[in-house]
Amino acid sequence: MKKILLVGKPNCGKSLLFNQLTGLRQKVANYPGVTVEIKSGAMGEYEVIDFPGTYSLSTMSIDEQVAVEQLTLRVNDDETELVVCVLDATRLERSLVFALQAQLLASKANKPIVYVLNFIDEVKRFGHNIDIDGLANELGAPVYALSARSLDGIAEFKNALLNAEYKNFNPLVPKIPLETTKEVVDFSRALAKTYAINKDVVLKNQNKVDNFLLNSLFGSFAFLAIMFVLFQSIFTWAAPLMDGVETIIAGMAVFITQFTGQGVVTDFLNDAIFGGVGSFLVFVPQIMVLTFIIGLLEDSGYLARAALICHKPLSYFGLSGRSFIPYLSGHACAIPAIMAARTIESPRKRLITMMTIPLMSCSARLPVYALLVSVFIPSDVYWLGIFNLQGVTFFGLYMFGIVTALIISALLSRSSITDHEKSEMPFIIELPSYRLPHWKPLYHRVINSGVQFIKRAAPIIFMVAVGIWVLGYFPMNASLEESWLGSIGHFVEPIFAPLGLDWRYGIAILMSFLAREVFVGALGTLYGMEGADENIAGLAQNIMNDGLPLGTGIGLLLFYVVALQCVATVATLKAETGNSKLSWGLYAAYGVLAYILAFLANALI
Amino acid sequence: MTLWELHKGGTANISHLCEHLDDSVSTRLVEMGFETDQYIKCLRRSIFSGPLVIQIGDCVYSLEQALAEQIFISTSNNN
Repeated sequence: MKKILLVGKPNCGKSLLFNQLTGLRQKVANYPGVTVEIKSGAMGEYEVIDFPGTYSLSTMSIDEQVAVEQLTLRVNDDETELVVCVLDATRLERSLVFALQAQLLASKANKPIVYVLNFIDEVKRFGHNIDIDGLANELGAPVYALSARSLDGIAEFKNALLNAEYKNFNPLVPKIPLETTKEVVDFSRALAKTYAINKDVVLKNQNKVDNFLLNSLFGSFAFLAIMFVLFQSIFTWAAPLMDGVETIIAGMAVFITQFTGQGVVTDFLNDAIFGGVGSFLVFVPQIMVLTFIIGLLEDSGYLARAALICHKPLSYFGLSGRSFIPYLSGHACAIPAIMAARTIESPRKRLITMMTIPLMSCSARLPVYALLVSVFIPSDVYWLGIFNLQGVTFFGLYMFGIVTALIISALLSRSSITDHEKSEMPFIIELPSYRLPHWKPLYHRVINSGVQFIKRAAPIIFMVAVGIWVLGYFPMNASLEESWLGSIGHFVEPIFAPLGLDWRYGIAILMSFLAREVFVGALGTLYGMEGADENIAGLAQNIMNDGLPLGTGIGLLLFYVVALQCVATVATLKAETGNSKLSWGLYAAYGVLAYILAFLANALI
Repeated sequence: MTLWELHKGGTANISHLCEHLDDSVSTRLVEMGFETDQYIKCLRRSIFSGPLVIQIGDCVYSLEQALAEQIFISTSNNN
């Protein structure tokens, strides 16, 4: 299939143009080492390939490097027919730097290039007209002015590509691509002087909004309000969707197991497949809601401002303003959060961010917190007469995770563990124009987040669920205590005795080292309760009757805040850092730290 | 003087970049518009020595102190 490559700077509206050209079906390819998404979709007889936006073709961060390597490879591919370079018509000078670099790359591979001048509607709204023919002659390649948002000029551009009209273009003077950065920058500046819209006109509105959103007082309030809405959305908006998924899985279980009758197959399907794998699918809507909100913030231009606001406080702990988004995402799930860390330019800060993300209280910890908090904290006690003590405890657990992450970041940034990633990339970020997000790229992003999460984590969760089920089920007809898993539990009981916990907790904790959400279900089964996940209050009553001391309970809670009990997270860490030793080392280290904290709480409280 | 010393609302022209800057960083800065004689305006300063916000060419950037101190400016021939 003939290919068209779509390239451009970040924030030039390239994703929306790609969606407008290719429609709703698209494939996302992830490149190993660092996750760089390269999307492709069909347009007539062509395959359009959308490369991630990079500021230039000389790379700074690892994700840019992967993107540029892939681009160079594809440009030289025989199937590649054309390079389409998207420019932001409102920021012509900066877009042209990338455009001229792309021209050199295309000409070296002997491939034609055409330019798209996006956001032309905004330029017109400001009462400016860009001399398209003049610019095309200067660049020595066809230029198409359009707006991917208002669809102005999209049909014409699509026709020009499908009918190869761009081949008819003949510049007045043939253009020799510029080689050095200085030549490129100087020529861009000269062209911008002749053709671009007055920059102060464009930046006026942006600066007005920034005066509010970056103001020390109002800006901080706005930031906190946005974060509050984001947190609310993860937990409240996602709840009905999560219930929906749970109902569907339960329905499927009932439907399918009616054909399998009583026996091993039904037990396996119920416990390992629908119980084990199903309980993990419940988190998918939450990840999609989080991706949606972060997508909204990013496409509107606010995310860059949030990074700016957080940069200074985070820098005290050896982190960057860009670490903020991964940390935030980590409260839904560490997997997309670790992937989001790829935008951090400094390799060292990126590594530290990835290493501490697992300390953010992800949603899989929620059922564990909910169970233990309801055991130890009465629901009708209010702190200062206003705040429900259970709510305050929840907040405290989240804060404990965040504070621990910051302390460990500070220690890591001063230690030599991350020394091989010593190179420091300073913090510099472009503040893009504020724009109303368009639903199409957002829609794809949200769907992809769910698909990628399932693809990455499902195989591991599946293997774990099957493994645990086998250990707990055999020998046949034995109680759980007499099963292989029970024997292991008794064998490891001495390890958990110093924490004040018996063999049942031992097994539940061991099982939850593969995925922590297993804890509640496992404990439920060990207390002889069916459906403990749905009936936390019932299980809490059982644990209460059992008389678990307060210190032991707090220790257990702290254990769950700190321990990295998620094999899927370790797998993601391994994929993103390319360092297996570090990933498993972290798994062990957080386990040991969690153990020490639980021991201290049990001994001292 | 360095860019870090530019007060809010102040304007200047880029004089040069510190020669000790890593090559990849200085190349990127030049591509972003930080080249000799470019006109630059400080739009905002943050509390507690947080990143400053500047306008250069048609772009607005935010950059931290450590980097702003590596960029030298002159306030004599503003345009």
